[in-house]
Amino acid sequence: MKTFEGYRRTNGSIGVRNHVITINTVGELAGLTKKLAQMVPGVIPVAHQAGKAQYPEDLEQTIRTLKGTAGHPNVSAALFLGMGEDDPAEEIVEMLKEEGHHVHAITFQKDKTISEVLIEGKQWLEEALERSRSQQKESADITELIIGLECGGSDAWSGITANPAIGACSDSVVRDGGTSILAETTEAIGAEHILAGRAVDYEVREKFLKIVKDYEERIKETGEDIRSANPTPGNMAGGLTTLEEKSLGCIKKGGSSTLMEVIAYAEKPTKKGFVFMDTPGYDVESVAGLAAGGAQIVLFSTGKGSPTGSPIVPVIKIGTNPKLYEIMSEHIDVNAGKIIEGLNTIEEIGEEIYTKVMEAANGKLTAAEHHKNQEFAIWRLAQTM
Amino acid sequence: MDYQFKGYKRNDGRAGIRNHIGVICSVVCSSVVVKEIAERVPGSIPFTHGNGCAQLGDDFKLTKNMVAGISANPNLYSTLLVGLGCETNQISGLLESIPKVKPIEGIGIQQLAGGVNTIQKGVEITEQWAKEAAEQQRESLPLSCLNVGILTVDMDKDSYCQVAPVIGGVVDRLVEHGATVMMGLSQTLEPAGSALSERAVSEELKNNLQLIGESLQRKRWKDVHNDTLTQLGFTEKERELAVLEAEMTGTSLINSLLGYSETPTEKGLHLITVPSNIVEALSNMASSGCNLAIVVSSRGILAGSAAIPCMTIAPENQNEFFDELIDYKVTTESLSNQIEALLENIIEICSGKQTSLEKMELGEFSIPHVGTTF
Repeated sequence: MKTFEGYRRTNGSIGVRNHVITINTVGELAGLTKKLAQMVPGVIPVAHQAGKAQYPEDLEQTIRTLKGTAGHPNVSAALFLGMGEDDPAEEIVEMLKEEGHHVHAITFQKDKTISEVLIEGKQWLEEALERSRSQQKESADITELIIGLECGGSDAWSGITANPAIGACSDSVVRDGGTSILAETTEAIGAEHILAGRAVDYEVREKFLKIVKDYEERIKETGEDIRSANPTPGNMAGGLTTLEEKSLGCIKKGGSSTLMEVIAYAEKPTKKGFVFMDTPGYDVESVAGLAAGGAQIVLFSTGKGSPTGSPIVPVIKIGTNPKLYEIMSEHIDVNAGKIIEGLNTIEEIGEEIYTKVMEAANGKLTAAEHHKNQEFAIWRLAQTM
Repeated sequence: MDYQFKGYKRNDGRAGIRNHIGVICSVVCSSVVVKEIAERVPGSIPFTHGNGCAQLGDDFKLTKNMVAGISANPNLYSTLLVGLGCETNQISGLLESIPKVKPIEGIGIQQLAGGVNTIQKGVEITEQWAKEAAEQQRESLPLSCLNVGILTVDMDKDSYCQVAPVIGGVVDRLVEHGATVMMGLSQTLEPAGSALSERAVSEELKNNLQLIGESLQRKRWKDVHNDTLTQLGFTEKERELAVLEAEMTGTSLINSLLGYSETPTEKGLHLITVPSNIVEALSNMASSGCNLAIVVSSRGILAGSAAIPCMTIAPENQNEFFDELIDYKVTTESLSNQIEALLENIIEICSGKQTSLEKMELGEFSIPHVGTTF
């Protein structure tokens, strides 16, 4: 059984990082959220422009993402900034407190000056940081780990090297009792029959086919050809010709395990094993959804070289070709290009990725963490009001 | 009286009231590199956003147009666009659509083989521009070079009654002196569409405004079998407040209704579509060429635009807790005195005086979505 040293949370979950974050519930407070984080070195800002002025389905998804992010096992403490009477910050904080999370909300209610808010926030963050530093690690095993599977800046090698190697790693994680979440519904289009065929039962199969079909319908409604957004110009320069081809490569990240469950964006899996999350192919939004759904580590294959990470989870980059590794090694953790050169098999790179997962779980920084790549964006479902 | 302000004259006849170097990401993937470049070069400002890839149709066009629009804003001396390389919103396409009236360059992380190289190259380019920008002097310019946006946030009946006549008076004066004024048409002003339509310059605009006044129309695309445009009715109270808000547009003819990231083709009064998200609204005004935004609010706001000074105006004795954010308080003094005083304040800010939000460095940028990502 593979084990690692992590941070045990009150609700029983296990974190592989011990972050203290600031997070806003409404776009107007994004600037102050960053400012507060700057005032206390070590604190990570999770700023965004979602919240309020949204249709109910959008607001619900935003709140689920914010709650999942702040209540993530990798997060030791979270400070929410909210605005006005109907702001969800207090409510989210109450729910998270019930689950045992160390969280606090400051809501601008016309009863505090900006300076007072900054002082209160700074003090809370300093104490939270102090508290996080005194937290001890304890032993956990792979069955408590959830990994997210993602690709960004794909090329023609993605489906031949990095994605199958991620698939091999995913199968191993699942075999050892862990959980692995494949995402990016757009990139299941054209290959959905393969994943559907691996569904554990009829309901999972139908749910999966429905989310893919819904996505296709939404695309049709724009009156546009999906091919003008996906594959992207860079994907095509990288040798990918059609979305179907990209999809066939994309789903290789899911290995060959049985599909146990299909979950919504930023929703937590209830089953262990191989799971699918409904997210867009847009990698930063997709990674934010995977993280909010509880993935402690994300595996991310890239052919063109994408530096993006996450504010709260280590993102492990797997390069698809030797040239990329040569010129952009600063952004790559695993060189799956060795498969092309005949130096390693897919299974061997899969094992290398698994080793990196356990190293990251034990605290070793990934390339994206090293470069402070903390991109964050929430998937939007409707126009701003 | 002939009003003048001290600004930076641009090659296309417009004026800058600030002389920033803009460092702008084409896609979220290059946002960290953009922040890093801007942090290292004093005088440069980062413009980051969450969009730029896996977008389709109108939603993509809006992102592209807003990035191009903010790049062209006259408050920016020059613009460095930073891309990843494989994104939908390609740097080459952006460079083609931005008018060549100032220094603009584009670089990409994949083209330069990594973030470290890109930061280095970006710092080299912007440091040179920062030197040039620092040498440029302000000169006296007429108000007709100015483009002023007006946004209302969280207003109640009493606040409107106090503030609207003053703002309306200032708008009329600005228009008289040949300035361009863009009044934000948001959820709160839309119910007054019918009243505003009476001052429309064309029949088409008149019909358009009347339609807008009927119900709130926004797209939603989760439930794929629904009509994409959902209509929500306005309440009586919303209509009553909207009529009060409409007073802030003054009495001039309304020349056009600008959509997201559209720029006015003539001077005078225009309406500009804005969402209720303050940062998205101010970003849209900046992308449409505004120099300055006047934000009228009962409370003061906590985020401005990174490109344009946002002057906050509130009624007196409203909310002392946000005092440090408010640039001008409307008092009970005579209307003509207040219009004059507010104009003087605007001119001071246009000539370089920092707004409260600028002092607190609370400038942001964001692009609205009109479609989902794929």
